[in-house]
Amino acid sequence: MKTIVFIAIVLASGAIAGLVHGTVNFAIVEPYLDQAIGIENQNLFASGEEEDTLEFWAEYESYRIWQKSGQVLAGVILGLAMGSLFGIVFALSRNSLPGKNDISKAVFLSVIMWVTIYLIPFLKYPANPPTVGDGETVVLRAILYLSFIAISGLSVVVFYKLSKKLNGNKKYLALAGYAGLMVITFVAMPDNPDEITAPMNLVNEFRFVSVLGVSSFWACVGITLGFFWKKFDKTPQMEYS
Amino acid sequence: MSKSEQITRTVGKPPILAVALLAVVFAFGLFIVGFDQGHIFSVIQGVDAYEELYIHELTHDMRHAAGFPCH
Repeated sequence: MKTIVFIAIVLASGAIAGLVHGTVNFAIVEPYLDQAIGIENQNLFASGEEEDTLEFWAEYESYRIWQKSGQVLAGVILGLAMGSLFGIVFALSRNSLPGKNDISKAVFLSVIMWVTIYLIPFLKYPANPPTVGDGETVVLRAILYLSFIAISGLSVVVFYKLSKKLNGNKKYLALAGYAGLMVITFVAMPDNPDEITAPMNLVNEFRFVSVLGVSSFWACVGITLGFFWKKFDKTPQMEYS
Repeated sequence: MSKSEQITRTVGKPPILAVALLAVVFAFGLFIVGFDQGHIFSVIQGVDAYEELYIHELTHDMRHAAGFPCH
């Protein structure tokens, strides 16, 4: 495969999956965001930080439209970013991934990455709607979230390489090692420092639709890159020219 | 007259240049959507960018929906 084609299909599959992610979010997550921001506004009025005036609502509408309109665009940008990571990992691991063809190999990898760099970190640091989250702790929360993703993502690579050196049932030791490390990390890392003041049913429903949105990305990027790879790569072993 | 042609092929691993380019896209895209608080526009806008937060507001809804810390 030509290098330019490799880059193009990786970026295209990321952008398409990001477009799907943004569109799904627009359809199913936005109502919960509106609801949460409504509570946030009521809290501002109650605390006296803002007044319930026409000027407030005019300003609110202007930036809220900007925020909503960015959902799909941000989906494409995030899709390009995560799709690039996915493309790199797929290119480096394709020859050793299980599966009969490129689509099944890419889907297998997308499931692994969905679990390790999204679902497991999400269980410790789940998504929160607006009105949950203190601006003073945003840097700490970002560090914690990224750290968990990095620990999970890097350790799955290490334990995968370890499993290649083991034979037969001993390969499961690597899986157990990864699971053990994740349990230790889960327990050892500090909790999100922010108190949840929003209604829990809103928070839980928001988290559910958030998972659906991100999952739509990982499902789509695996299928799309696998399809493109199958279409454009005619070599049995990966070759770049 | 004979013509010779040389084709260079690398088997098994993607070219470093391609990986580097995609890694830059990954890091930059992730920063834009997940973490920018005015940093990028501050290059042209100065300190006002940290107040205006154009990119933060543009990516605000995706930031929450994708699980990134916000506010």
